[in-house]
Amino acid sequence: MRSKNKNGIANIYLVLVFVVLYAPIFYLMYYSFNSGGTMHEFEGFTLDYYREVVGDTRLMIIMINTLVIALLSSAIATVIAVIGALAIQHVRSRRAKNTLLSLNNVLIVSPDVIIGASFLILFTIVGIKLGFTSVLLSHVAFSIPIAVIMILPHLQEMSPTLTDAARDLGATRRDVLTKVILPIIKPGIFSGFFMALTYSLDDFAVTFFVTGNGYSTLSVEIYSRARQGVSLSINALSTLIFLFTILLVIGYYYLNQRKNKPMMHTAEPVAEAGVPR
Amino acid sequence: MKQLINTFLAILIVAFGLMFLAYRLNSAEGYSGGNTLTIYNWGDYIDPDLLKQFQEETGITVIYQTFDSNEAMLTKVEQGGTVFDVVVPSDYAIAKMREENLLLPLDHSKIPNLTNIDSKFMDLSFDPGNMYSVPYFWGTVGIIYNPDMTEGMDFSSWNSLWDKRLNNEIFLVDGAREVMGMALNSLHYSVNDKNEEHLQEALSKLNKLSPNVKAIVGDEIKMLLANEEASVGIVWSGDASEIMDENDKLDYVVPEEGSNIWFDNMVIPRTAANVEGAHKFINFMLRPDVAAQNTEYVGYSTPNTPALALLPEDISGDERFYPPAEITDRLEVYDNLGKRMLAHYNELFLKFKMNKK
Repeated sequence: MRSKNKNGIANIYLVLVFVVLYAPIFYLMYYSFNSGGTMHEFEGFTLDYYREVVGDTRLMIIMINTLVIALLSSAIATVIAVIGALAIQHVRSRRAKNTLLSLNNVLIVSPDVIIGASFLILFTIVGIKLGFTSVLLSHVAFSIPIAVIMILPHLQEMSPTLTDAARDLGATRRDVLTKVILPIIKPGIFSGFFMALTYSLDDFAVTFFVTGNGYSTLSVEIYSRARQGVSLSINALSTLIFLFTILLVIGYYYLNQRKNKPMMHTAEPVAEAGVPR
Repeated sequence: MKQLINTFLAILIVAFGLMFLAYRLNSAEGYSGGNTLTIYNWGDYIDPDLLKQFQEETGITVIYQTFDSNEAMLTKVEQGGTVFDVVVPSDYAIAKMREENLLLPLDHSKIPNLTNIDSKFMDLSFDPGNMYSVPYFWGTVGIIYNPDMTEGMDFSSWNSLWDKRLNNEIFLVDGAREVMGMALNSLHYSVNDKNEEHLQEALSKLNKLSPNVKAIVGDEIKMLLANEEASVGIVWSGDASEIMDENDKLDYVVPEEGSNIWFDNMVIPRTAANVEGAHKFINFMLRPDVAAQNTEYVGYSTPNTPALALLPEDISGDERFYPPAEITDRLEVYDNLGKRMLAHYNELFLKFKMNKK
């Protein structure tokens, strides 16, 4: 009886947390259908703002740019981060390892504005034209430390005896990597990828500095539009992007469920803790 | 492992598919052609149809980028990396860009439509002779108020703000020049006054205002006033028109002692690649029909006289945004006070903010 009661409170708490988290998003989605044109009163149902978004080619191009940058940069960053995490794990000296980790963490907590300004100066000195390349490079750069920190705990958690056993049984180095290590840290790789994806999607400060020559992303565009008050077409656009990310997550779980049934690790271990923001 | 590879392949395929789509959209719009013109403007500050129209008429493809503050724009223009052909900064930013030699002089023979601009908006202190800039939109600083909440008070003078009935009812915009200028104006001094006695007088007058001041806020002032968090605000006319769009109960007035008048202007940066096209674009924007259409879309005040005649009466006849001559004569542009004087203004404003309980 008592434990059941406790469960009830826990459930209520959980529901409350989710309400708080999702209420603003649903509020925003609700008003994207408002024919009244403001976020004050709901006057009637309309799809005008969705038509406006789809009809505005410049906005559509910017949205596609944003998605391309997010997908590519987080994929590249995750690959680099896997290699980086393996290297950090490989370092024997405790001091060197800690130094590497601290350097990684400093990049996570350093202010976006400073990273952005540094990139702007770097790119103009090196002579990289601002646009797709500069945005992609900077997004890859700020995503790597985040992905590293998501992957490392899985590596640390992995028992070293596993690799030893594999080696004893005659596995080559390559086999150990592809058949033992990577499958075990796979959840970390995916959470690193998704984390990098969200960082890239919503980053304004860094992106602002490195966009140029007609190449822009949504965060920059929405921010400069907000000066005139946010139009409901932005609500419509946000709704579309929200749905897109939900689709991504559903896709991920579908993949996981189908392939992972006979494997271990259906539940996500540790990892998610300790990342700022 | 296989799953990892498959997933990453899928991501790459989706990304390249999207890239191809963007490329198709870009070339459908003609953005990838050679003859382009890059425009750097405030967010949502032009009717997008006009960009298409310009493209159809001249064959020049417009690449349009936006910024949200003069300071942000200055950073990008100074740093280079992107080539902008036309930029739309505000008055004081133009003075600064001129000093730093960032602008190209305009060829007036290529802008015949310049004659459409009202002569009182030409040859201003930030750019004598309009060597570098052409007015795009203008506005004022004034009082926005809620008649329901202020019981018929009259705000035609700045001094009405000191009325005891307004206790804790005023929002000030967080700008040293705006707030100091308002205090100076209320004492019948210039917004560009450099006389130390006058400035101290203005400060002590501001300190007397502080019981009435609810808060000194940034851009959120629009939302706060539209939601009736207080009954009075000191704002720019552009903000005022947006607030009144949100909440039509509010009203805006430019006090009779005078006030600031501001301008956003088109300029050509020194690094421009398509100077010919930039002149064409500026000339296009000055055409009466184009300026009128743009004014209806953006909602700020146009300096274009023939365009004003094309606008519906309820826009052009609105004295709140097109004040009569006896008021416009008293409006002043902010002069570039110089670094030291500007710092002094900021310091006085800071003192006022700190004194406020």
